[in-house]
Amino acid sequence: MSRTPSRTGWLLVLGVVAALVVAVWTTAGSEEYPTTLDPRNPGPEGAQALAEVLDGQGVDVTIVRSADDLEEAEVDGGTTVLVTSTDDLSPGTLDRLRRHARPGRLVLVEPSYRVVQEVDSDLGALTVYPDELDARCEGGEGPAGIDVDGLRVAADRMTVYRADDRTLDGARCFGRDDGAVLVESRTADIVLFGAGEALSNDQVLRGDNAAVGLRLAGAGRRLVWYVPDPADATSDEAVALSSLIPRWIEPGLWLALLAGLGLLLWRVRRLGPLSTEPLPVVVRAVETARSRGRMYRRSGDHGHAATALRRAARTDLAARLGLDRRAEVAEVVEVVAAHTDRPVERVAALLDDTIPPTSDQDLVRLAQELARLRREVRRG
Amino acid sequence: MAISGRVPLLLLLGLAAVVLRPEGSTVLLWLLGVLVMVGIDVLLAPVPSSVGIERRQPGTVRLGDPATGGLVLTAARGARVQVRDAWQPSAGASANRHRLRLRAGEPQRLTTPLLPRRRGDLRAAGVTVRAWGPLGLAARQRTYDVPGTVRALPPFESRKHLPSRLARLRDLDGRAAIRVRGQGTEFDSLREYVRGDDVRSIDWRASARTPHVVVRTWQPERDRRVVLVLDTSRTSAGRVARFPGDDAEDGMPRLDAAMDAALLLGSLAARAGDRIDFLAGDRRVRARQRVHGVRDVAARLQEQMADLEPALVEADWDTLAGAVQGFGRQRALVVLLTALEPSAIADGLLPVLPTLVRHHRVVVASVRDPELGRLADVSATERPTADTVYAAAAAEHELARRTRMREVLARLGVDVVDADAAQLPPALADHYLHLKAQGLL
Repeated sequence: MSRTPSRTGWLLVLGVVAALVVAVWTTAGSEEYPTTLDPRNPGPEGAQALAEVLDGQGVDVTIVRSADDLEEAEVDGGTTVLVTSTDDLSPGTLDRLRRHARPGRLVLVEPSYRVVQEVDSDLGALTVYPDELDARCEGGEGPAGIDVDGLRVAADRMTVYRADDRTLDGARCFGRDDGAVLVESRTADIVLFGAGEALSNDQVLRGDNAAVGLRLAGAGRRLVWYVPDPADATSDEAVALSSLIPRWIEPGLWLALLAGLGLLLWRVRRLGPLSTEPLPVVVRAVETARSRGRMYRRSGDHGHAATALRRAARTDLAARLGLDRRAEVAEVVEVVAAHTDRPVERVAALLDDTIPPTSDQDLVRLAQELARLRREVRRG
Repeated sequence: MAISGRVPLLLLLGLAAVVLRPEGSTVLLWLLGVLVMVGIDVLLAPVPSSVGIERRQPGTVRLGDPATGGLVLTAARGARVQVRDAWQPSAGASANRHRLRLRAGEPQRLTTPLLPRRRGDLRAAGVTVRAWGPLGLAARQRTYDVPGTVRALPPFESRKHLPSRLARLRDLDGRAAIRVRGQGTEFDSLREYVRGDDVRSIDWRASARTPHVVVRTWQPERDRRVVLVLDTSRTSAGRVARFPGDDAEDGMPRLDAAMDAALLLGSLAARAGDRIDFLAGDRRVRARQRVHGVRDVAARLQEQMADLEPALVEADWDTLAGAVQGFGRQRALVVLLTALEPSAIADGLLPVLPTLVRHHRVVVASVRDPELGRLADVSATERPTADTVYAAAAAEHELARRTRMREVLARLGVDVVDADAAQLPPALADHYLHLKAQGLL
């Protein structure tokens, strides 16, 4: 059964649509750049806070998302190139990055063992869980002119880097026995920072994380924030799928498609149109009585319904007890009371039209009692 | 136009060519080749209109009996064809798709088994001819309208009641051993007394003239007229259960039950030597037939009833009563097979009844709906809800109106036979026998 929606229904639909629109709108930002430490990701894992603050501090922040864009970005002596999501750096991209960032300062945030191996095979990386580390710089003022003296970095998980003094010839800060979080390799012209978590929106306010982040990224006038894209890998690094499959597959697929089309045309053509049946009307004869009952119900006409039931019961009882069909109500009541050993008043209340029921429940009870009375007389 | 399964197969065969020469152009060339072959095949296929189609009409069958639809195809030149002989679904055409090879000028006969599932004239929907080309790749196809009808007669389910009623008729008729003298009989003949005869029927005057005791024999009136009036108006469309407790989803239309009753009464009355007139209509007269001196009255009536369908209009009883009078002014038993629907009767039938009753004996036979009684019985449901009680009240109200209507009709001198669909035919036949025995025809 179909029903036209009421006004509340429309309002409900409108409300749901509005809620959906708002939800989509507010979550759109975080959905757009869901990567960890993305400068446009406002979620707990993102680094939008740092980027915004740097921008507010007068640092010219440029965000690039592909190697080609990076090539176009200008890098001079006062530029810091900050790279997050370093796992997505392919060897080729890393080479291009290092070549292009040479005039400025290149900072890799939490590069993994694989990436540091690309930089220098002597470098090692180790994940540690120190909670907090003091700067305590060794071997210089600070790596590549980044002054972090007296600061304390706090994060649950960090990566420390180690190698012999020849490879890591720059300063080492936030050190432990097994390595340091912030290291510089002058030969490789690169700075590695192992506490990426400290730069996230969620953790940036812990300890001196904010200061570390600002000094790390804001050491120069300009900041080029590079978020690598795995698709930047040059074609000789990825294996082309097309080189693996035989050459006839593609035209073969086309042919199979055509054959499928032919199959469709073969099966879809019917042998003549569908034949139709002039259908007869199907109406239950009792449907009129049923719908009249529904009409009584809708208009709540207890009195009318009760009259019909009582009259039918009186006629039936009168016939069974050998009375004339047109016998008076009082006469029927008397005979029925005598026959069933019930008080006259109660039988009269049941059979007489004078007291109409006031509710549906009353009517149902009346109908049940009338039925019981009729059954009793029928048995007796 | 249609293509066969060989076309996709042929296209797939091109895979071999593609493996040998893996180029895009190979696919195009192969497709072109297949298309050319299909085109040639279509051009060479015979035109379907060159096949002559004639229909052999399946004629008339009883509902539920099988029939055979026939087609005769004649081709101007040899052809491989597929033919579908489509009928409306209720005609029950099962194996109606034929594959055959036609030879030039040689007529070929196709038969389609039919099993009608509905009463009335069931029509053929069209004959589709698909003529294949010599390669069997493609065909030309056309659908032609070749009119055909199978007439499914109404079933005479109450035929099983006929023998018992005929036996009772014979009792009345004086052909049985016990002869009854009484009202509604007329003098037949004199014959010798045999033991068992009623002594009151001894004709003493005749006995005095012969050495034997002679009795008079009597027979019921003959050559009375019975007019069967079938109401096909809106009330006849209502579906009723065949018997109380019948759970068939949609029951049967009142009209079909009324037809059954008319068939039984017609057969019985014809055997009793009465003349039958049949009339059916709603706003206008739809069927009208004198069935006098015919051996198989039921067959003739079935033929008349076959294509009657309930019409969703109010009955015009002036017209119908006029048609009854048109059969002749001789007094007759007029049986009105209609529904005891108080509103419909009060508006249409009541005004014309007095005139009819003055000239004829009128019986109203109505198909009762057992559902109404069940609806009225509140105690039938375990836990009555307000809905069932209101429905029961409406049903009681309706039943009371019916009772009042029956009283009104009785006061007018009209007999009312009101019974369930399955019970109406024997009840009506019994009433007829009762009238016959009483000599009230």
